[in-house]
Amino acid sequence: MTAVLILIGLLALILINVPIAVAICAVALLGMVAMNGELGLYNAALTLFDGATSFPLIAIPLFILAGALMNTGGISRRLIAFVSALVGFARGGLAMVNVGVSLFFAEISGSAVADVAAIGSVLIPAMKKRRYRPTFAAAVTSSSASLAIIIPPSIPMILYGAMADTSIVQLFVAGIVPGLLGGFAMLCLCYWFAVRYDLPREEAFSLPRLGAAAREAFWALLLPVIILGGIFGGIVTATEGAGLAVLAALLIGGVIYRELRLVELYGAMIEGVTQTAVVMLLVATSAVLGLHLTEIELPQNLARAITEATSNQYVVLILLNILLLVLGMFLHGAAAIILVVPIVLPLIHAVGIDPVHFGIILTLNLAIGQQTPPVASVLVTACSIAKTDIWATTRTNLAFIVVLAVMVLLVTYVPAIPMTLVEHFYR
Amino acid sequence: MALAARILHRVLEVITIGLLVLLAVLVITAVTFRYGLNASLPWYDEVASVLLAWITYYGAALAALRRGHLGFSGLVLSLPPLPRQALFVLAEVVVYAVFVSMAWAGWVVLQVMAGETLVALDWVPLQVTQSVVPIGCALFILAQILSTPAAWARSRAGRDAEAEEIEAEIAKAEREARR
Repeated sequence: MTAVLILIGLLALILINVPIAVAICAVALLGMVAMNGELGLYNAALTLFDGATSFPLIAIPLFILAGALMNTGGISRRLIAFVSALVGFARGGLAMVNVGVSLFFAEISGSAVADVAAIGSVLIPAMKKRRYRPTFAAAVTSSSASLAIIIPPSIPMILYGAMADTSIVQLFVAGIVPGLLGGFAMLCLCYWFAVRYDLPREEAFSLPRLGAAAREAFWALLLPVIILGGIFGGIVTATEGAGLAVLAALLIGGVIYRELRLVELYGAMIEGVTQTAVVMLLVATSAVLGLHLTEIELPQNLARAITEATSNQYVVLILLNILLLVLGMFLHGAAAIILVVPIVLPLIHAVGIDPVHFGIILTLNLAIGQQTPPVASVLVTACSIAKTDIWATTRTNLAFIVVLAVMVLLVTYVPAIPMTLVEHFYR
Repeated sequence: MALAARILHRVLEVITIGLLVLLAVLVITAVTFRYGLNASLPWYDEVASVLLAWITYYGAALAALRRGHLGFSGLVLSLPPLPRQALFVLAEVVVYAVFVSMAWAGWVVLQVMAGETLVALDWVPLQVTQSVVPIGCALFILAQILSTPAAWARSRAGRDAEAEEIEAEIAKAEREARR
């Protein structure tokens, strides 16, 4: 009964546009005061602090800071030039460059909107100039940026890892194969569109030019290698890897390329720290709600109710996929993770789904959520750059959404795709 | 009001960026000690976690000043002006109720903690580290008040903060791309 009241209250507050973090805190406070009186308020205040002191989440502001340094340090521009030299020769080359750059780069600054704006404002006008349809340009930019959230380093994965108390490193490793597969599928789709719309090639492939671009981008390319190598090699934790990323981006942007601009860096840092705080406030208030939900044993009861109905993993996974898809349409990714994970985790454990496996499923579902209106900030950003209508773009984008949906199904029902590398290296 | 909002914005900017830089320096130093000098800093985890909590609350106030906290405005914006503005007021009341009660409860909890310290650094009182909850909640309330006129006008015009953020990001990125 209490659980239903909490759910309805939460939904009502979110619908009248109370910030989600505040809505979570409000229903939790009401529940706790109803149960324990004034003591509930003190407990809540303590939990607000403890909930925000999660050590693994320190990786989030640090990766965001590293992303800001890369953006203002001339590193991202060199990556675009390198990818152009690599795949620009193909039919529909600019679309492929778009996919390639997104996979390297998107979702690194913690603000999906800022990343899509950075990539899209360079590539979408270039695509329009080369007579690509604006709806196609917006669709490919938006979808490939969303796919990138399963490629490490990924802020949603760090968030999930911390909430589910699961290894962030293993999540990163599990994302590699699905990410590459999805990227390859999107490149194939771009080629199909290129043939159908007769899209142009960029300049012919030239080894010397590729070499020159690679030399220019050498340090920028070395950055992920050092950091991810350190994390995967077990030398540093994800948090320390994020610290190293800051140091490396500072050295490369400031000392080697000498393009670090302090005024812009300051602006980017403010954006980054605000993004961090928005996510962290959600984490902290959801800790308060989590405390209360545990008091009334909601997650445990939910797990029991569902496992009594079915203990079939595949059925449970279908149900979870549907839940995540619907939530992803109406909530931002971070909010969806923070709301869902604590509630479904006991269920995941009860039916024997690997939490790392589930993390990849969850993240991919949220990638689709970023592409489906009404709440689809990545898509909206790409559409406003291309000056296209959201619904017209969505028609073209459906093909890319299908790719993402097939990836969700593959990753859900062929656990070997995400898990083989994890099993091989860590178990 | 606008001037006060700008001043608060600048103050919160300086605090949060200072904390972020401190956190980055701390993590990098700890890694250097562990691998470079083979000596670990036993207080590093605890202090870094406290810094994250401080970034959370000072940054949350900054985000409140820009009305940047995640929400769902779809339903409210589709309503006619009168019910839309009525719900705006109701949502504001909920925000104040939550943060006023948490500022007060955080303050009471602080009194109880007199004499307690961090585990690894026994000269740092918990009253200092935990002060961020009442202070952060009070700053959040102040930020909410100062940003009300702009938010009220935006709601009346039927726009949301996210649409403005997207426009600002694109304008910035396009300036960058033209360079």
